Amino acid sequence: MTKKIKLKISARLVKKRSRRGGNNRPKMCRFCSDKEQVHTIDYKNSNFLKGFLTERGKILPSRISGICARHQRVVSGEIRKSRVMALLPYSGPSF
Amino acid sequence: MATLRQYEALLLTVPEITGDEVKHLETQLDKTIKAATGSTISFERWGKYKLAYDINKNEYGVFFLTRFEAPVGTPIVNDLKTLLKVKLHNVVMRDMVSALDPKRPLTYQKPRSLEEAPTREADSFSKDKASTFFSADERDEIDEE
Repeated sequence: MTKKIKLKISARLVKKRSRRGGNNRPKMCRFCSDKEQVHTIDYKNSNFLKGFLTERGKILPSRISGICARHQRVVSGEIRKSRVMALLPYSGPSF
Repeated sequence: MATLRQYEALLLTVPEITGDEVKHLETQLDKTIKAATGSTISFERWGKYKLAYDINKNEYGVFFLTRFEAPVGTPIVNDLKTLLKVKLHNVVMRDMVSALDPKRPLTYQKPRSLEEAPTREADSFSKDKASTFFSADERDEIDEE
């Protein structure tokens, strides 16, 4: 007996793919793609590091910021240094 | 000859620091660096800043950045820590001494201080808005009113 080959993709699967956005663009770390930008990660450059904080002053996870593990370590380290110098907050504004 | 290493020290001082105190701070730093057979490259005043949180009940602070080089193996970093944390403790609130990466460019970006921020009158904002939102005739009417 010959094996049945599945030719048609099920409608459910098509729907599922379209729900995910459709474009399977691979996530690329912004610092890996542009080596020059790595130099902007600095504890003195607090305006740049502010982009990696939540409203409450927490460090954004890499799954949100889209940077690789290696650069996430660099960024979070510089944020912690910046916090010591009171350029960045430990916690967000008090209510 | 011992290889030279470049360092930088970011200092956060009290907001009411006087000119004499700044001079004293600079000479003291220079003295310590010279004692370790090093040399000062730059000493820069960033300006007054609003701090992210209060330090010693101070809402504001003045930042200074100094860069220097010293041979590897000298106790320069420890000497500086002693100077800043013990002798100058009533002027310097926070300090950060770090070695510079030789591969990195010496240029850096800093946040804008309160002194650099553009000052504007309290009334000017609504005037700017009026110039973009209303036509010329409408603006004349507003002025007449």
